[in-house]
Amino acid sequence: MGAAVVAAGLALVVTACGGGSSSSSASASGSSSGSGSSGSIASTQGKTFPTLKVAWGDTDYMDPGLSYRLESWQLFQDVYLTLVIKQHANGPAGAKIVPGLAQSMPTVNKAGTDYKFTLRKGLKYSNGTPIKASDFEKTIVRDFKLNSPGIGFYSNIVGVDPCEKSPTKCTSIPGIVSNDAAGTIEIKLKQPESDFLYVMSLFFSAPVPPTTPATPQGSPPPPGSGPYYIANYSPHKSFTIKRNPHWQKGAIATVPDGNPDTVQGTILDDLAQSAQMVASGQADYDENLLPSDRLAQYQKKYGSQIKYFTTPSTYYFFMNQRLAPFNNIKARQAVNYAIDRNQLVKLRGGLGKPTQNFLPPNYPQFKAINYYKYDLNKAKQLVQQSGTKGQAVTVYTISDVSTDKAIGEYLQGVLKSLGYKASIRELAGGNYFTIVGNQSTKAQIGFTDWYEDYPYPTDWFNVLLNGEKITQIHNNNYGNVDIKPLNKQMDQLAALPGSEASSTGTNSKWAALDQAFVVKNASVAPFLNGVLTSFFSSRMNMSCDVFDDNQDDFAQFCLK
Amino acid sequence: MATTGTEEFTLDTAAELAAEEGGGAAIQGRSPWVLAARRLRRNYVALAFLALFLLIVVCCLLAPVYSSHISGVGPNDTNINGTIVVNGQKLDVVSNGGITTLGNGQVKVVPAGVPIGPQWFNAGGKYVLGADNLGRDLATRILYGGENSLQIGLASAAITTLLSIVFALLAGYYGGVVDWIITRFFDLIWAFPVILLGIALGTALSINGFHHFGLDVSGSSLWIPTAVISYVYIPYIGRPLRGQVLALREKEFIEAAVAQGASSARIMVSEILPNLASSILVLFTLIVANTILTEAALSFLGAGVQPPNPSWGTLISDGESDIVTAPWWSIAPGVAIVLTVLSLNVFGDGLRDALDPRAKVRIEH
Repeated sequence: MGAAVVAAGLALVVTACGGGSSSSSASASGSSSGSGSSGSIASTQGKTFPTLKVAWGDTDYMDPGLSYRLESWQLFQDVYLTLVIKQHANGPAGAKIVPGLAQSMPTVNKAGTDYKFTLRKGLKYSNGTPIKASDFEKTIVRDFKLNSPGIGFYSNIVGVDPCEKSPTKCTSIPGIVSNDAAGTIEIKLKQPESDFLYVMSLFFSAPVPPTTPATPQGSPPPPGSGPYYIANYSPHKSFTIKRNPHWQKGAIATVPDGNPDTVQGTILDDLAQSAQMVASGQADYDENLLPSDRLAQYQKKYGSQIKYFTTPSTYYFFMNQRLAPFNNIKARQAVNYAIDRNQLVKLRGGLGKPTQNFLPPNYPQFKAINYYKYDLNKAKQLVQQSGTKGQAVTVYTISDVSTDKAIGEYLQGVLKSLGYKASIRELAGGNYFTIVGNQSTKAQIGFTDWYEDYPYPTDWFNVLLNGEKITQIHNNNYGNVDIKPLNKQMDQLAALPGSEASSTGTNSKWAALDQAFVVKNASVAPFLNGVLTSFFSSRMNMSCDVFDDNQDDFAQFCLK
Repeated sequence: MATTGTEEFTLDTAAELAAEEGGGAAIQGRSPWVLAARRLRRNYVALAFLALFLLIVVCCLLAPVYSSHISGVGPNDTNINGTIVVNGQKLDVVSNGGITTLGNGQVKVVPAGVPIGPQWFNAGGKYVLGADNLGRDLATRILYGGENSLQIGLASAAITTLLSIVFALLAGYYGGVVDWIITRFFDLIWAFPVILLGIALGTALSINGFHHFGLDVSGSSLWIPTAVISYVYIPYIGRPLRGQVLALREKEFIEAAVAQGASSARIMVSEILPNLASSILVLFTLIVANTILTEAALSFLGAGVQPPNPSWGTLISDGESDIVTAPWWSIAPGVAIVLTVLSLNVFGDGLRDALDPRAKVRIEH
């Protein structure tokens, strides 16, 4: 096993203490909790109140093994705990990895391929079942049996191959060794993985009781392991969250015990209706984005009840490099020059910041790119030089989100002005990414956005732009970007041990990749980083709001 | 709608008309068409709505003139960063905003993206009905949208009527297996709700267009919604016409034509078809209103006219999200649809009363 190093060092960037490869193991890992740095939890706790009513966006599932939407994950942060969690804190601190169900940060061997966690003692699920070390492996196995969208995150675990080949027949993963008596979980990796702790913080690995069937659960959802559990869920309609009766106050310092006793949620996809519920006092919090057309009106009337946050998200146009005309770099550069990023922000009601980077600005790997100044004439020249003028281009966008629709129509207008025969195909949001992610659609160019799963560049470059991960269906690399030297570079950076993951040198290499994709290859056309809104009723105390990496933490909400 | 239940529309025969006018001699030698025209001329309500419909058509046909001489922009010209001068004051076509970073990930936002409202004629003809969120001139888009909607409505009504006539003649005249096949085909279409079938076909065809049988139609072509709407309405005209052909086929004059050795085609075209003319005219007028409404519904749902091409349905859909702050965006094309369909329905009823007076009971529902 070699000298163990503390994975806390890997707390990457966000902890600004990466690179601590040499420190001794136990002591630092024992600094456990990482709670000291959170601070914010202490200041918001102990302000309990009976009922919090919320208006919430639609969810996909209420099963941690299946859900891959922010709406669910925002709730899960206080319901389903993982071995390590993202800190419940405002701003960049909210992306810091701290112990969750594990009593401390794991010890990692020098090669970065062996992680050892020790489970906290005395924890129970909301149904009273004790949480055991072996539940972790069973949860990952269940993910495979469910064909969960998260199984790709575990492909680096030793012995996972049979499960990957036949997910539904998966029974065990030899690379996960559990000891219930000692409460230890050892995870062996095929090769180092720089973002592994972030992967471990995803809800796909949140343990659920071993008796949980390997079928989608929702009515009711699986028992919770955090301070709350989801008592009731009616898809597309409502949910009720209650306190976990087996949660011991202060059991995990990094997790808030929670202020509301009960959370009653109304699920609404209509942004206007959702906002109206809060405006009329029927709800205390609006999880949905405020409708852009009424933003000014709401700001004028309820300004003190609205908060805006920049999010780790990038909105960009993909350009399919397997198809004409965007298999020509000059055509791709032309798009980058021809789009006016300020206009695109305007189309989103002002809820965004223009960007040319693929990575969001709150990353330490971010180095601002200021290369493409809006220049339509230059763009036209590039199209002329590319010899693609007059070709037919179909723009893809989402039809049921008015701002996305307008952005798509804007791009169509831009392409027409560049001399292309541009048409547009608008698809419902529910099917959009499935359709454009299917190679048979042959989507040439279109709107897309990405909100991080976890705050590390692998979640951007390796998922969205690595040619080795292009698939026939469910493809996330919509533009089929496949640049061999950059693929290799991404693989190398992804395989760094955690201790090197956030060193200055590594950060520079990621920043150079950003530059290589956007400037040198014009692989994508990023245009804005999204801004989200949080709208509270007049009875809520805004100072208790904590907007962490999973967005507003309802457990910390408090009344005036 | 009981708009025509007045006394003059109860006249069933030339004799009754003559009696009302005070003598049989006055109508001697007049054809049923002349009599129908005479009845229609006396239905001022129907004529007024016909005039309204024609006015709408003319306005829509003049869209290019409005675009080049009044608004100065095309239907798809965006102007997000543009400004206009209204009463000496410079106004943003689409409002500007801004973001200030406050720290901790929090920012201060000045909302942007709200389009300018109706300027009537204070801005020299620009943005008379306001703009949409891309800064496009709504009045221009409504006129061009009307052109598209009317074109699709009229063309699809014409195609569906033509196809229905052919099917009805074949089914009604030949009967037997031919009739069975054609009526089952009608049943098949009829089994689906119009909108559902329209969405299914419209969506499927708008994705990749139609590239078969030597035809090469792109997904954004207006021929896609036209063809879809034409198809879904075939049984709605075909069935009543087939019934009439079945009845006509048993008439003595058809037997006489057969006895004289007339071919089937000649009998259908020269003997039966002229006797269907008044029904066809009435049905066509009424189906146009339906096809225009269907076009609007399909376009509203994204299965009709494809953006950025405007149609009244797409314009309503575009404005739906901003209905509170920019209601004119949806209301204006909505009013246009209401007026068009209302005028066609009232005129259609009037035409039916004129051409087919015995149908008076059916319209009084």
